[in-house]
Amino acid sequence: MRAAPSKFAEAVVRLLLPPAAREQVLGDLKERYSSPRQYFHDAASAVPCVILSRIRRTTDPAVLMMEALVLYMSFFAAAWYLDTSFLSDQNSLFRIAIPTASALLGFLLVDAYADPAHRWVLKPILQAALGTGFAFLSQATLATNRAWQVPPQIMLTGGAMSLLLISAIRMLLAASDQRPTGTG
Amino acid sequence: MSKPDSAGQFEQLVLAAILSLRDNAYGVTIHAKVEELVHPKSVSLGAVYVTLDRLEDKGFISSWLSDPTPERGGRAKRCYRLEALGERALQESAITARRVWESIVRVWGKDWARQWGKRWTSEAG
Repeated sequence: MRAAPSKFAEAVVRLLLPPAAREQVLGDLKERYSSPRQYFHDAASAVPCVILSRIRRTTDPAVLMMEALVLYMSFFAAAWYLDTSFLSDQNSLFRIAIPTASALLGFLLVDAYADPAHRWVLKPILQAALGTGFAFLSQATLATNRAWQVPPQIMLTGGAMSLLLISAIRMLLAASDQRPTGTG
Repeated sequence: MSKPDSAGQFEQLVLAAILSLRDNAYGVTIHAKVEELVHPKSVSLGAVYVTLDRLEDKGFISSWLSDPTPERGGRAKRCYRLEALGERALQESAITARRVWESIVRVWGKDWARQWGKRWTSEAG
């Protein structure tokens, strides 16, 4: 009987690989399989490269810049409207940049892991919600360092504005998952 | 009219591998062929995947999913073929390599070239 990787190892690699490259990369890794050590070495070499390559292919720098501007301005406008004293803090502009950067990272990952085979009308809204979720995740990780957190009411209002505007941008502009679906 | 992209050194290796593999060019075979070309150095599987994506974006190659096979756990292969742009880039690379070779021979002499020729023949044999 031909040697095969463990179901657990395959499941982990499957989870990490972007759907657009999953089929062929899992197949290649299985075909090359000779031992668990070799499988781990191959997967450790292939998976990060495939993810980075997929991010490169699905990211439109112009759209990303637009989303960055929308995110930052949404949080800034929310702070300006709800609590101007927050903006007088010397680090406030940097504090707003933290959820903005986190959400952008979220958008990069959401686009890279979008399955090109599944297209539906509400997908841009779901992608915008997932990406914006990363902004809230950044605030959760800053729980031990409240000096860098953005007040919750500003996060909620800014997050809602971002969600609305970015959903609109993503619905208007061409979807990033309509690009070539090569190995990564 | 804009000049088409040229191929980098590693891209040339991957293009040459696809050219020589013809209808059997997919991740595993391309990686094996590239390793053969760069022997005794080794190449990671990830580097091959990244380069295949870049070449496809440049329009040098195209890809399609084949039928699933049992030895791959019922998974399909992504097969690659050279496009006209890729063939042209590879031809340009070969011409440049020849010019480099000729300019070296002009300086270091034909004896040196003959020695290298023997070494290549013994390595290939």
